[in-house]
Amino acid sequence: MILLKDVAKSFDGKRKVTALEGIDLHVARGEMLSLVGPSGSGKSTLLNLIGGLDRPSAGEIRIDGRALASLSDDDLTRLRRDKIGFIFQFFNLLPSLNCLENVALPLHLKGMPKKKTAERARELLDLVQLGHRLDHLPDELSGGERQRVAIARALAFYPPILLADEPTGNLDSHTGAEILNLIRDLHGRLGATVLIVTHDSGVAQSCPRMVTLRDGRIEGDVRR
Amino acid sequence: MILLRLISWPYARKHLVRWLLTIGGIVLGVALLVAMYTANQSVVEAFNQTVDRIAGKTQLQVSAGDSGFPEEVLERVESAPEVRAAAPVIEQVVDSGIKGQGKLLILAVDMTGDRSLRDYNLEGGDEDIIDDPLVFLAQPDSLILTREFASRNGLSSGSKLPMQTMEGPKQFTVRGILRSGGMTSAFGGNLAIMDIYAAQKVFGMGRRFDRIDIGLKEGVTLEQAQASLRKVVGPGFEVEQPSSRGQHFESLMGVYTTTMNVASLFALFIGMFIIYNSFAIAVTQRRAEIGILRALGATRGQIRALFLGESAIAGLAGSAVGIVFGLLMARTMAANANSMMDSVFGLSSNADRVLVQPWLLVTAAVVGVSTSMIAAFLPARNAARVDPVKALQKGRYQVLSAGENRRRRAAALGAIAIAAGCLLFGKSNVAFYSGYSLAMLAMLLLTPALSLYLSRLLRGPLKLLRPVEGALAADSLIQSPRRTSATVAALMLSLALVVGLGGLARASYTEIRGWLDSTFNPDLFVSTSETVSARTFHFPDNMLDGLRRIPGVAEVQPVRIARVSLRGSPIMLVAIDPASIARRTRGQRVTAGDFDEMYRAAEEQKGLIISDNLAELQKLKMGDVLEIPAPAGVLRLPVAGILQDYSNQLGTIFVDRAVYRRLWKDDSVDIFRIYLAHGAVAADVKTRILERFTQERRLFVLFNKELRDWVMKITDQWFGMTYVQLFVAVLVAILGIVNTLTVSIADRRRELGVLRAVGGLRNQIRHTIWMEAVAIGVIGLILGVAAGAVNLFYNVDLSRRSFAGIRLDYMFPYGIVLLLVPVILGAAFASALFPAESAVRSSLVEALEYE
Repeated sequence: MILLKDVAKSFDGKRKVTALEGIDLHVARGEMLSLVGPSGSGKSTLLNLIGGLDRPSAGEIRIDGRALASLSDDDLTRLRRDKIGFIFQFFNLLPSLNCLENVALPLHLKGMPKKKTAERARELLDLVQLGHRLDHLPDELSGGERQRVAIARALAFYPPILLADEPTGNLDSHTGAEILNLIRDLHGRLGATVLIVTHDSGVAQSCPRMVTLRDGRIEGDVRR
Repeated sequence: MILLRLISWPYARKHLVRWLLTIGGIVLGVALLVAMYTANQSVVEAFNQTVDRIAGKTQLQVSAGDSGFPEEVLERVESAPEVRAAAPVIEQVVDSGIKGQGKLLILAVDMTGDRSLRDYNLEGGDEDIIDDPLVFLAQPDSLILTREFASRNGLSSGSKLPMQTMEGPKQFTVRGILRSGGMTSAFGGNLAIMDIYAAQKVFGMGRRFDRIDIGLKEGVTLEQAQASLRKVVGPGFEVEQPSSRGQHFESLMGVYTTTMNVASLFALFIGMFIIYNSFAIAVTQRRAEIGILRALGATRGQIRALFLGESAIAGLAGSAVGIVFGLLMARTMAANANSMMDSVFGLSSNADRVLVQPWLLVTAAVVGVSTSMIAAFLPARNAARVDPVKALQKGRYQVLSAGENRRRRAAALGAIAIAAGCLLFGKSNVAFYSGYSLAMLAMLLLTPALSLYLSRLLRGPLKLLRPVEGALAADSLIQSPRRTSATVAALMLSLALVVGLGGLARASYTEIRGWLDSTFNPDLFVSTSETVSARTFHFPDNMLDGLRRIPGVAEVQPVRIARVSLRGSPIMLVAIDPASIARRTRGQRVTAGDFDEMYRAAEEQKGLIISDNLAELQKLKMGDVLEIPAPAGVLRLPVAGILQDYSNQLGTIFVDRAVYRRLWKDDSVDIFRIYLAHGAVAADVKTRILERFTQERRLFVLFNKELRDWVMKITDQWFGMTYVQLFVAVLVAILGIVNTLTVSIADRRRELGVLRAVGGLRNQIRHTIWMEAVAIGVIGLILGVAAGAVNLFYNVDLSRRSFAGIRLDYMFPYGIVLLLVPVILGAAFASALFPAESAVRSSLVEALEYE
């Protein structure tokens, strides 16, 4: 499903910073893995590259057999929209839109008819047990509820790949556990390939596979 | 569309006041455009309608400028074989004498022949007055009014109507009311018919007519008749169709509309900059939102379309409001245009309604929307290029890359080099305008680099004032040059306009005062109107002796002013007594020739004196022979001298009165310039003049100061634009700085949060933001004054090339600049108050959160 071959990423600034180097990674369809490592190890950078939010300085990334390097920006965007769901640490909901509208946003971006969009958005919010909060704005929700809305939004097209960047990082342990359960449950039901970036060992160990990064390189890759 | 509702509308609703200010520029530009064109068209249409209605069956008209011609010409015209009917006409515009009714167009005709060209459909009154022309002659106080005018003023047959005449106020009797229709709608219905010979007395025209209206025989073509009549009357006359008067009027309006076009363009340009600034700030403020949309699958095209859609809506809203304001302003502008045409060219139209043209409203909307979208194009493009990864990170984002800065500097240097080349080697208008545009472009391109440089320079003084707050304020400017430079650029352009206009105003005032001192130096002026500009009435030549005999009067100089055509352009011809004028006005500024020699040549009827602006506009020099057709021949004399003179926007020629009398067969006088004897008191002499003459004729006696005050008042009205532009500059300053500070505070949330967390007081936070705002104001002022100095240089040349050929000195407006300092710094400080409060009241915890 996801293939990385000798991928590297550097950032040019006053000094050149190498965030990733020599990354080789294969993630099979339906797998669930955690990306762990200390702060600055390149976890989030790796996730951004896989998600097509950024492009590598070297190496090759393939999603479902398609090389990302050969894609134009618009094609990459469409790939991200249709095949990849992103879940962020800070939720990144639009504060002026209610839950239904936030979830429906990717559907509107694709140009889906209004009626169908509303139906799908309701369906997704039901999936994350927030069907009773359609009209609420993000600042009327708890942290856990906001993250569930963000998860519902990420599932807009039932993507084969779910990328979560510290999904529980901004939540208390109880709520974090609930979110993790939700992600696992969705993984089981929808069969999506899930990558979770985390520095929480509890979260990491709950995944069948754990890839460890240090100083921009893969230090370990453990399957349970 | 759905994205506009979901994404754009919540943002607009949250920042409604800012959006309103943003579209204000479009409102102003569109309003001026609509008002100007509507007023223009309304005035022209009203004039054309008047000409058309009054013309009736007239096919050709013979005229000779506004001085008229002797009665004998009528016989010559009647003798032409092509002519079926020839009717003499006097047409003058007077005050109606009725409060609120404005002007009245007097059409004075000879009923003997006039009915073959015009229909007189009386609804009531003395039918004999039409049927028997001699009745009209026998009752010279007769007037025929239109139904429209009579109804508005409760007049009927037999009513009395007071009117000013050359012999003082007189009562006229209404002897007929014209049925509505035909010519009664001319001049908005304010039309009165009177006997032509009575009119000659009323207006002091002697034995002269204004024009002859002609009907042709069957089968005669217009071209044949024109050719024949031109041979008959000679070169000093015009033989044209009535419609050509309308075309002529429209072309003269061009001078007025050019000025308003420029004002409208400037307003739209400022509006563009305000919109660009607002959208640039909005893109920066909303970068997280853009990042989310891009992460969720919005393409670059969708992001670009979103912002362009917002700008289109802003443009449409601005256009809609602008159109409404424009239509409201049009009536006032039409009145101003009419007043200008009347005082400068002696042409009046009495536009009493505003002509709304659908094509103009559509054009205005298109202009407003296009301007807005063009202004938002770059920010929309930048929004589409937002990196979603960086946008989703909290922290600083905006850096002007070193490469970008170098490219701008290189482009600026290139523009300066070409502008310098145009200045040194280019003589044509194309070279001038190219150089001007490139010079201003160079200043815009250098704004980021200069803003950065000045920010670094200001760091020391700011730190000296307040070590922590000052340093933070300066560092905020230094680290975000793109954010600051957009605001500084808008402020710079706006202030450059103020300084440019201010400099022109200062130079113009100085020149005009100098001209008034040297030329308008008589103690008293005797005129037929209150302001010496209207020339409906004329004095007879024999008044000269009567004035000379008034005790206290040392010298009387008669002056006749007429409008003539030189190379198709209407100019002023002033007939004077050169020797006496030369004795009294030795301080006049000579541009070419010798003062004494030019006046001697004029006195000896061997030369003309022309104004500097005429020489500039028509490319005339010493020795050039001018040919001006006159009713009794052609005035053909060389230019003997060129003087600074501001009597007329399109130029003035001074000739000896004897030349004028000989060629125009006209010895009437418009103004007597009176110098008092030593020890005489002006007020006493004025009283004596009035006592001597008011019983027998209409006249006004003005003190020198009254006339000077009137001239300065007209100049004030013209340069009132400077203060309007100052207001716009303040608005630009406030809007730009509020926007910049809002983004600055958003960007520096963590920094300000840390400051408060380690013990910074709220007042200290306020101070840093206030100082940042004032620093932006200082940078904008410095660059604005510098750009203004350059702009003024080009404006001075522009006034010579384009606006009435006036040559002005470069005079930097120190007074205006000194006024700008507290105004702009005060506006900058005021702009910071609200953003500073929002910064100190925001949540400290939220400000400190980090990844």
